[in-house]
Amino acid sequence: MLPLIIASRFLRSAPGQTALIIAGIGVGIAVQVFVGSLISSLQDDLVDSTVGSSAHITLLPVDDEQISAALAEEALQQSEVTTAIPVRRMSGLYVSGDQSTPLSITGGEPEDIDSIYGLSDRIVDGEFALEDGQILVGTTFADAAATGVGDELELVLPNGESASYRVGGIFDLGAAAANERLAFLDAESVGEALGLGDDDYSAIEIQVADVFTSTELAQRLESPGVEVIDWQSENEELLSGLAAQSGSSLMIQAFVLVAVALGIASTLAISAVQKTRQIGILKAMGMTDAAAGRIFLLQALILGVTGVAVGIGLGYLLIWGFSFAPVDFSVRPSPTLIAISAAIGVAVALASSVIPSRSTSRVDPIEVIQGG
Amino acid sequence: MADVLVADSIEKIYGEGETATRALEAVSFEVAEGEFASIVGQSGSGKSTLLNLLGLLDTPTSGVVNLAGEDTSELSRRQRARLRSDTIGFVFQFHHLLPEFTVFENLTMPLRISGQRVGDAERKRVSELLELMGIGGLEKKNANQLSGGQKQRVAIGRALIKRPEIVLADEPTGNLDTANTDAVYDLFRSINQELGTGFLIVTHDRGVAEMTDRILEVSDGKLVQDVRNDYV
Repeated sequence: MLPLIIASRFLRSAPGQTALIIAGIGVGIAVQVFVGSLISSLQDDLVDSTVGSSAHITLLPVDDEQISAALAEEALQQSEVTTAIPVRRMSGLYVSGDQSTPLSITGGEPEDIDSIYGLSDRIVDGEFALEDGQILVGTTFADAAATGVGDELELVLPNGESASYRVGGIFDLGAAAANERLAFLDAESVGEALGLGDDDYSAIEIQVADVFTSTELAQRLESPGVEVIDWQSENEELLSGLAAQSGSSLMIQAFVLVAVALGIASTLAISAVQKTRQIGILKAMGMTDAAAGRIFLLQALILGVTGVAVGIGLGYLLIWGFSFAPVDFSVRPSPTLIAISAAIGVAVALASSVIPSRSTSRVDPIEVIQGG
Repeated sequence: MADVLVADSIEKIYGEGETATRALEAVSFEVAEGEFASIVGQSGSGKSTLLNLLGLLDTPTSGVVNLAGEDTSELSRRQRARLRSDTIGFVFQFHHLLPEFTVFENLTMPLRISGQRVGDAERKRVSELLELMGIGGLEKKNANQLSGGQKQRVAIGRALIKRPEIVLADEPTGNLDTANTDAVYDLFRSINQELGTGFLIVTHDRGVAEMTDRILEVSDGKLVQDVRNDYV
């Protein structure tokens, strides 16, 4: 208790010095919080736009066989799996004059389709309805084909026959490629077009809670006659880009921490020299070396905790300020990251006090007393 | 009366080999409870070294310092710090108050260091001590706001707060003018008589030494004289 009182009194006796070092730690932690949140939000957005509305893992039958819906039920037994649906896939060709546009059509139960693609929230015209004979197409396709809600769309199916579907809604999945190529039908329509039995499906589409657990889960889902496709193995370039970005962000944060540590260590070292006389007097009065050393450890703790608190406040202020920036992107503070920054900040402050604490415990009261 | 402090053949050598300097040589004497004694000597005679050894601020090269009946030669740094803080009050030439703290906090610092609670009884004792020092009511002042004489009195009060058996004073009036010097010695004397606290005062000033009951003279690291002072 006494070392704490002395530590706080020492800090208050030099308010300018104390404020400067707290500001230094604060700025360092604010940079940590802001840069860390910025990078993690950027990456989340990027991953979300890449795989947010598509399957993370797809189970396909080998050799053009069909797959049973029972596999979706099995996949749902895995704790990471949030959605697993059986779908029927086929291609369709839209022909207009001498132009033809291929469509990749997915057929499934409306609520199943919605659970993976989130279509009900992404319909920009018409409605999310997959009743008999209704098709959902993307904005890019609709523009190119000059088709709108309620129009009939004639497609050439894989068996060479033509079929006509009424456009029920137009969606925007946020990516031009998806808006051009994808189309959705009900499961029955696709089943009929392909001549499939009731339990014959072309794929099982799976989403997981944490997209980065997909590779490990994919390995567990492997079974004979089934091909397992994992989004990560199909997006290696994106992932290595993300890893490089995380690496450089970590490096910036590490250097900021080193600068903060040097700042605290030098201030405490100066303070230890300035207070040598007081430390000598306290020791002459019976204070133990350990207790005297603890004074600087506690000073560092006070500086660290206060500086971290200031830094987190400042970091939130930066994030709030960024929300006014003219960009179509928002930074979300990441509580885990902030907690880690705070813990590291305090730990760095404590580590910086090791040298001044040790030099303090070596102060010889006689030298101080006779020095006058 | 029992002895508070016993120096038994203590010797202090600084450095090693050819550069070794013998600061003290076979010094032996005893100080009884409630004694009012002084150590006198020229600058460099070894008297401050002697005081540091007696006050357990330093350890002798050979010989034994016995404090309050305890042989201190085998004690750890921590044990010596504790024994020092429980039995000895220090007064130095410079007041050595902590400028970041008030008079009250400075006075009670030795209690806090030894982990004692500072309650009403201690508050009362502080105000009594300040009255005795002639600086009553200054508790809340910051140590920096006091005059030189007032600071030295606070330092004396601090030396007495734990009711030490003996006060070791190293040139306690070296920085004070004649009027303040006389006042401080009167104060020492009255504390000695009223509280029964022993005093061992180191000084280079024979005039000051003659105000005490016993004079120990140190010269060239040796105790050359130990006389009762009949003038008092």
